[in-house]
Amino acid sequence: MENLELLLHGFDVVLTWHHLMLMVVGVLLGILVGVLPGLGAPNGVSLLLPLTFAMDPVAAIILLTSMYWGALFGGSTTSILFNIPGEPSSVATTFDGYPMAKSGHAAQALTLAFMSAAIGALLGVVVITLLSSWVAKFALRFGSPEYFAVYFLAFASFIGLGGASPGKTIVSMGLGLAFATVGMDTISGSLRLTFGFSQLVSGISFLVAVIGLFGIGELLVTMEEGLRFDGLKARISPRAVMEAARMLPRYWLALLRSGSIGCWMGITPGGPTAASFMSYGLAQRFSSRRANFGKGEPEGIISPETADHAAGTSAMLPMLALGVPGSATSAVLLGGLMIWGLNPGPTLFTERPDFVWGLIASMYLGNLVAVALVLTTVPMFAAILRIPFSIIGPIIVVVCFIGAYTVANSTFDLWLAVAFGAAGYLFKKIDYPIAPLVLAMVLGDKAEDAFRQSMIMSRGSISIFWSNGLVATLCALGIVLLLWPVLGRMLRHAVPSRRPADALEE
Amino acid sequence: MTQAPTSAGNARHVTRLAAEVFGALLTLALSVAIALGARGDGIGWTAGGPEAGTFPFYVGVIVGVASLGNLVVAFRRADRATIFLDAVKAQRIAAFGIPLLLFVGASVLLGFYVATILYLTGVMRVQGRYRWITSIAVAFGCAAFFFVVLEVWFKVPLLKGPLESMLGIH
Repeated sequence: MENLELLLHGFDVVLTWHHLMLMVVGVLLGILVGVLPGLGAPNGVSLLLPLTFAMDPVAAIILLTSMYWGALFGGSTTSILFNIPGEPSSVATTFDGYPMAKSGHAAQALTLAFMSAAIGALLGVVVITLLSSWVAKFALRFGSPEYFAVYFLAFASFIGLGGASPGKTIVSMGLGLAFATVGMDTISGSLRLTFGFSQLVSGISFLVAVIGLFGIGELLVTMEEGLRFDGLKARISPRAVMEAARMLPRYWLALLRSGSIGCWMGITPGGPTAASFMSYGLAQRFSSRRANFGKGEPEGIISPETADHAAGTSAMLPMLALGVPGSATSAVLLGGLMIWGLNPGPTLFTERPDFVWGLIASMYLGNLVAVALVLTTVPMFAAILRIPFSIIGPIIVVVCFIGAYTVANSTFDLWLAVAFGAAGYLFKKIDYPIAPLVLAMVLGDKAEDAFRQSMIMSRGSISIFWSNGLVATLCALGIVLLLWPVLGRMLRHAVPSRRPADALEE
Repeated sequence: MTQAPTSAGNARHVTRLAAEVFGALLTLALSVAIALGARGDGIGWTAGGPEAGTFPFYVGVIVGVASLGNLVVAFRRADRATIFLDAVKAQRIAAFGIPLLLFVGASVLLGFYVATILYLTGVMRVQGRYRWITSIAVAFGCAAFFFVVLEVWFKVPLLKGPLESMLGIH
């Protein structure tokens, strides 16, 4: 029960008024960016990150993770009330959430969503509590080849399981890796890929890329659709909350199943979006009330919400223990850790136990704070969406560019954000996944260092990647995942099954 | 976005096929730039291990191959039925994008605060059709809010222009 002791120590670190205040501020800002279309968790966190450069790392991570939880909740709110997912991962919640709200049960739909989301998140934190120090201990045995294999595995699983076209995923990821190499090379000290631009010497910040791709790009897509909100009124009474709470235990199986899917998809970098779709698909397949799905079935809200939050939370496990993030937002957080001077990965557990366990403890508290806050503030945030978008849109633009500027106080970054915004618009519309690009930008340097050090160890022989059982297993797994789109098709041809296509394969 | 609209049917629009091809060619061009740029940094082997350009060079090659693959897939699907962008949407993009570009340009020249006030006032007045007084009030309110939060609270200085230095605000 060593973990429990460490966790209690973590609570000791977290439970100060200062930290609780930051939690409240973070959650409220998170709900705000989650509710507003065009702002989501990844770029919300990116926008706030430059403001935390001078903060103590524990306080900074509490602020940013709380914002992440808040954004996840905010995304569900607009899905249910406006039929507009505030986050890609809450798309599946619109399927049953909006119909249920439309039929006059908005309060129940919201409460069900929030409560199952909280249960999912708590399941995720429990998994982190139980597994993280074990994973970190295991990972301490890793050398450079093993690390490169882990990165390879993470990249391969995006290609194999991500659901987007493999070719497009490879392009997106490769561009991310290439952007990461721009600027000063840390090993040889020479300049790379700067093409004579002195502004590129310090590299391209992933924060600017996220703000452009997710923020500006998303806004362009939203504006193009000629956004109109047809919101439903929401007033959450204590009675509706009680009613929904009484309904919840009936769905224990759905909660457990969705929670497990979420944890699995969060730890392997499938991400919250894939998790919520998969969970919805499975719930629909196994439910006895299948016909009611899409018409306001409670299980259709509970399943994606639980999985979404379980995945969002458990994505923090590989980020902390291995330094490999499981979602776009945790990739941004990982970048934040490095900026604050921390070294994410297994050594963090021994070097900064107060930080690691403070963070884990803050996840328990942060999610409880988030549920309480979101239940009480939903009407207020829903009202924000009634402000015409011709005001909100430009304000979001201003916020995005201020965020891009504060990263490095460089005006060049503003134009970079514009370029990334245009690319984000194009990518989004022709289905290039953006999360792999961000992941690759954050991990690029580390992946390259691991690769070069492995090459130095082996004097240029690639056989080092199957020189021992551990690294060979990791590489083999990676190759299987990489070839999964091909292998899967071959298997399906070999065994003609009646299995309907997974929700993932859409 | 930048390519000439094809004229299939009555309305001028860009098909999904055209957009896919444009995307693939764009990433192909980037991959060539990456690979060529990296080759200049050396892709061989030295005493200190692989040269600096090795990793980006192969990344560029992989992106190039995948771009060609995407190009082939796009032509095989030949999706001319789905409209990527039509006149109405293009107009909406322009109505949002052009003021955005002007805002960025103004920020670089005049600083963030002046640019924010001009941008918000302009967009609200012209596109939102709000009264002058409302537009200006919202714009100044926002600029003041950013000033308080960033400069006062978080001590993060934003880009300032000639107006601020005239007024002696740093």
